[in-house]
Amino acid sequence: MFSKVLVANRGEIAVRVLQTLQAMGIATAAVYSDPDANAPHVALADHAFPLGGSTAEETYLDRRKIMELAKSCGAEAVHPGYGFLAENPAFSRECAEAGLVFIGPSPETIELLGDKIRSKEASVKAGVPVVPSSPMWTPGESQPDDLSSQIGFPLLVKAAAGGGGRGMRMVERVQDLETALESASRESASAFGDGRVFLERYIPSARHVEFQVLADSSGNTIHLLERECSVQRRYQKVIEETPSPILNEDLRTRMAASAVAMAKSAGYTNAGTVEFLVDAQTGEYYFLEMNARIQVEHPITEETLRLDMVEWQTRIAAGESITLSQEDVRPSGHAVECRIYAEDPYSDFAPATGRLLAWRPPSGMGIRLDSGVAEGQEVSAYYDSMLAKLVAWGPDRQSAIGRMQRALESFPVLGVTTNIPFLIRAIAHPDFRSGDYDTGFIAKHPELTAPPASNHLNAAAAAIAERIWQSSGPISGNNMSGQASAITRGTQGPWRGLSKSTFP
Amino acid sequence: MTTRRLQQLHPPAVPVDAGDGAEIEISATSPGRWEGHVQLDDGRTTPFLAHRDGQQVHVWIAGESYVFAPPTPTTRARRSGQPAGGDIVSPVPGVVMTVLVASDDIVEAGQDLVIIESMKTEHLVKSPRNGVVEQVLVQEGEQVERGVLLVVLVGVGGEE
Repeated sequence: MFSKVLVANRGEIAVRVLQTLQAMGIATAAVYSDPDANAPHVALADHAFPLGGSTAEETYLDRRKIMELAKSCGAEAVHPGYGFLAENPAFSRECAEAGLVFIGPSPETIELLGDKIRSKEASVKAGVPVVPSSPMWTPGESQPDDLSSQIGFPLLVKAAAGGGGRGMRMVERVQDLETALESASRESASAFGDGRVFLERYIPSARHVEFQVLADSSGNTIHLLERECSVQRRYQKVIEETPSPILNEDLRTRMAASAVAMAKSAGYTNAGTVEFLVDAQTGEYYFLEMNARIQVEHPITEETLRLDMVEWQTRIAAGESITLSQEDVRPSGHAVECRIYAEDPYSDFAPATGRLLAWRPPSGMGIRLDSGVAEGQEVSAYYDSMLAKLVAWGPDRQSAIGRMQRALESFPVLGVTTNIPFLIRAIAHPDFRSGDYDTGFIAKHPELTAPPASNHLNAAAAAIAERIWQSSGPISGNNMSGQASAITRGTQGPWRGLSKSTFP
Repeated sequence: MTTRRLQQLHPPAVPVDAGDGAEIEISATSPGRWEGHVQLDDGRTTPFLAHRDGQQVHVWIAGESYVFAPPTPTTRARRSGQPAGGDIVSPVPGVVMTVLVASDDIVEAGQDLVIIESMKTEHLVKSPRNGVVEQVLVQEGEQVERGVLLVVLVGVGGEE
């Protein structure tokens, strides 16, 4: 096993990975940008090294800086988390050349899966159906109409690289296509350094269901069941759950077999995820893409299977074989994840920034919080707007959702606008409760994002604010904004073996 | 009976009666921080957490976070996202990636004016109406806060 690992990421995933490495007795190193100097992942690691700079490009995407720090600090391996360099074949290759183990699949596999066209070819070869799509479009090439003629409208513009909804646009009319292609291409070039985009048929009322796979270098490939990720805004997941409310045993078995076949066809090693679109009307499913990284939503799999995905990633990267057999994969209960984003649900989910004046995560039976922020911290516009992931486990779906509802309702956050009020409404919605929702869920229910009507709650809030204003005076004497507030520690119940709290 | 001094900035809402009769049990727990319970009009009692930050008072209650501040001339602009008249403001905090118009350009309703990148996502700022660009107040690469003035339009007309 490795004696030291560098974590090349920030936020909740850096914290999450560091915790597992420490539990495995591995020394840890973190890296950080200037705005992240006081971030929880910096405090948690055994050593933390400044990258110098603020933007992603000059910090967490700077392969040379990270590589040099990894070598000079004596790390034997690098964990890339998700995003940033996680699916960058050049980085993975440079690690290997420098004698460092990249905790993830091989550069060849990352290259294959990162190219959405080649990965679709691999899927077809593995006997897994795909959504019809066009060849690649690069800026400067005209005739986008030729591409769309084979697909038809509405369609999706998608980035060849990437994920997380970046560089993705839905286009309903041919006259909007060129603008969408250019905008998606720019966004993708900025986020992933690759401006190539393509068109894909848009399947209405689709469900997004993905399968987790685990593969080692001795040829063992197993699946760790599915995650339902259909609640999305801007093509980015917001709420995930497992098991999926729509899979019956037959469909689950067939999709799982497809996922394993796809992983084998791609020569996959380590943890990966095969994403499918399921047509809720016909029950047909299509391969979407395979993600060569740990997924944001991996905790729900961990909760129902009681295993540690980061530990398996690390063990596989160190050359160990998977000691779990497919028969060992028996889920228990139900898990739901809500992503806490710094964004305004009443203003088309516009990103929000500011200082976290209060951040008081809930605790209790079945509740887990993977968080990358702490009270008093500044949330900047430099990076992704996800602050934390709230996960609830219960013996069945309704109890998991009930626990989630209670936890969301007792999660005070002040200073930075979050999507928590939206999440509360979404999981209380009858369609979510019944499991009858698809990727159009948010758009179909405008009441989820309508500003709350004036009622006894904001009347009470106004009365409290007036009282505070009166008692502390119009000119606030002790300049609270300059003071670091006391940081409370998240307390978690002695519930199960996994590390429950990433709250520092 | 007290007069209201503060205005609700978030969530966007019509002015409310401050509920002068509300029963509030409140204590200051650390600098700038207040906690307690409030009795709602429907008789229920619920906990709250509040924080004063300069000219703003933030109140969390029953899963929603409210922001209050004394009314200022810019409050109206910030509340609605876009102010009235020909002023085009940034809908998000971020970095100006591309400025697509210059002074004296004639623009149509729906035309892209500025592209802001925020948290790795592009936001297209479109013209709300037909008009002429009087002034562009930002440059590419510039950091902007939400509500910062980007472009001033004149000759306002056409569709809203």
